[in-house]
Amino acid sequence: MRRAVAASIGTLVLLTAVSACSDASGASTAGGASGSSASGSAAADPVTIDVTFDGDSVEPNGERIQVEVGQEVDLVVTSDEPGEIHVHSSPEQELEYEGGDTPKTFELSFDRPGIVEVESHSLDQQIVSLEVG
Amino acid sequence: MSGPGSLGSALAGTTVVDPARATQAHGFGGQADLPIPLDLAVTGAVAALVVSFTVLAVAWRRPRYETGERGFAAPAWLDTLVSSTGFTVALRVVGMVVFAYAVATAMFGRDSLINPFLGIFYVWLWVGIVPMSLLFGSFYRSISPVRTLHGLLARAIRVDPGEGLFAYPERLGHWPAAFGLLAFVWLELVYPFPTSLGSVRLWCAVYLAVTVIGGLLYGSRFFRLADPFEVYSTLVGHLSVWRRREGRLWVSSPLANLATVPATAGLIGVVGVLFGSTAFDSFGESPAFVGFVQDSTINGNLLRNAALLVFCGGAMLVLVAGTMLTGVDGGTPRRSLPDRLAHSIVPIIVGYVGAHYLTALLETGSRTLIYASDPFSLGWDVLGTADWGYVTWFSYHPTLLANLKVLMVVAGHVAGAVAAHDRAIAILPRRHQLTGQLPLLAAMVAFTAGGLYLLFSA
Repeated sequence: MRRAVAASIGTLVLLTAVSACSDASGASTAGGASGSSASGSAAADPVTIDVTFDGDSVEPNGERIQVEVGQEVDLVVTSDEPGEIHVHSSPEQELEYEGGDTPKTFELSFDRPGIVEVESHSLDQQIVSLEVG
Repeated sequence: MSGPGSLGSALAGTTVVDPARATQAHGFGGQADLPIPLDLAVTGAVAALVVSFTVLAVAWRRPRYETGERGFAAPAWLDTLVSSTGFTVALRVVGMVVFAYAVATAMFGRDSLINPFLGIFYVWLWVGIVPMSLLFGSFYRSISPVRTLHGLLARAIRVDPGEGLFAYPERLGHWPAAFGLLAFVWLELVYPFPTSLGSVRLWCAVYLAVTVIGGLLYGSRFFRLADPFEVYSTLVGHLSVWRRREGRLWVSSPLANLATVPATAGLIGVVGVLFGSTAFDSFGESPAFVGFVQDSTINGNLLRNAALLVFCGGAMLVLVAGTMLTGVDGGTPRRSLPDRLAHSIVPIIVGYVGAHYLTALLETGSRTLIYASDPFSLGWDVLGTADWGYVTWFSYHPTLLANLKVLMVVAGHVAGAVAAHDRAIAILPRRHQLTGQLPLLAAMVAFTAGGLYLLFSA
């Protein structure tokens, strides 16, 4: 009997703890999510990311950048040599640039939330990861 | 796992990619889940902490699950059905059909991300093994193509498949399986070309050769103890409601079932690799680690190799310390404690792996079904699934997904804490029962909080 009581008290505390956790966070994250989707496409200004290739290195170096769903993301690529950038979104995108003195700008936008990695495969480097939310 | 070293090189190298179809999640790069929000991670960790001490303070004082008597016999008709030769053979045939299909795509398919072989291997097998085992018990054992191949071979050369040439060394236990699992996660997470068809094919060929030869040398107990996939599946299957008790099909709660995991040598290695590698996978994607590797003058591949070993070895060490730091009496060798308590980490692994791979299973799993309809990338539609959509629903419901992930992790932690408590009061001397549980509980809270932190920071 005592064991049963103890077990049921334990279960109750567990359930409270677990549901409290989901309630509290549910409320706060729901606010965040709706905020981003409401301000979505039109309102937010384009994000500009300058990507500079110099020999075997590239800037930025794997940084995380937050963008909103539908927000325009401009990748401005400066490079001394031609190459391509892979954008691991759905669907994947491959961006080719010729290199030279004038930077090339790619206008991207993402309609599916998630982490999108932008990589240079020839350098084996991640340039940025975009947190689309 | 989508580090530039992995998918990147595969794509840039010999692969031919149809950009519209080549998106992949997990193991193949591609779009990944959003991190879970910080407050959710923190509340999850706090819940785990509260739960742990609640279990310690108010739960039962006598072991409930140790005798293995809890539960009831399954209905006779069900027992007869699943024990019948026809049913056993049918499952093996299903396993062999999928295996043969996978071999065909591996041999004759294109070296490309749209080859279904990669998804069959990395997602259907590796990720799918968890839900299938949770539902049906030791799932891989029932379909195991290596068991079938070994059985056929043994019959052909007229030896008893159950008996090998040698006795399997007791001390080896699950260690070969732990090594095999490490070899798998190395291929998936560290090796620079995890999606190159030739590499995966070679890995599978070595796996097949080693397990079939092991079966011939040591008999079919080799598969139970040393086949990484079977060990993983059977371990997770102990969280299903099904097991065999005295030859009968038995139904009991997952926790009662979990207590029947044999304390085999090397079990601690298996759970250490499973937990450590999943944590490494999250960690390896975090901007902090990516930036560090790319900035470092040390070779990135070397760093990734070292990090995987540190995570797996670290998880193992934490568990060994957590289980051994207790008072024991003369009858219980301290060194036996890690393997006798390691089963309690299985629910934590399942919760964390579930949270980590849920969307990969749905998205890449369904995408693999689409690819599988065109096994050789020739525009075929042999399964009629080429036009099916793939599941991206959770991407658009990130709040629900994040809550679900934290719930899985916390639920795994609760089950783990209860399982550890039950075993601790069974094997620890009375005066050490309360304090003796604390180190393992601390290790569990560290794992859960660490797992949540990685889900937050990935």
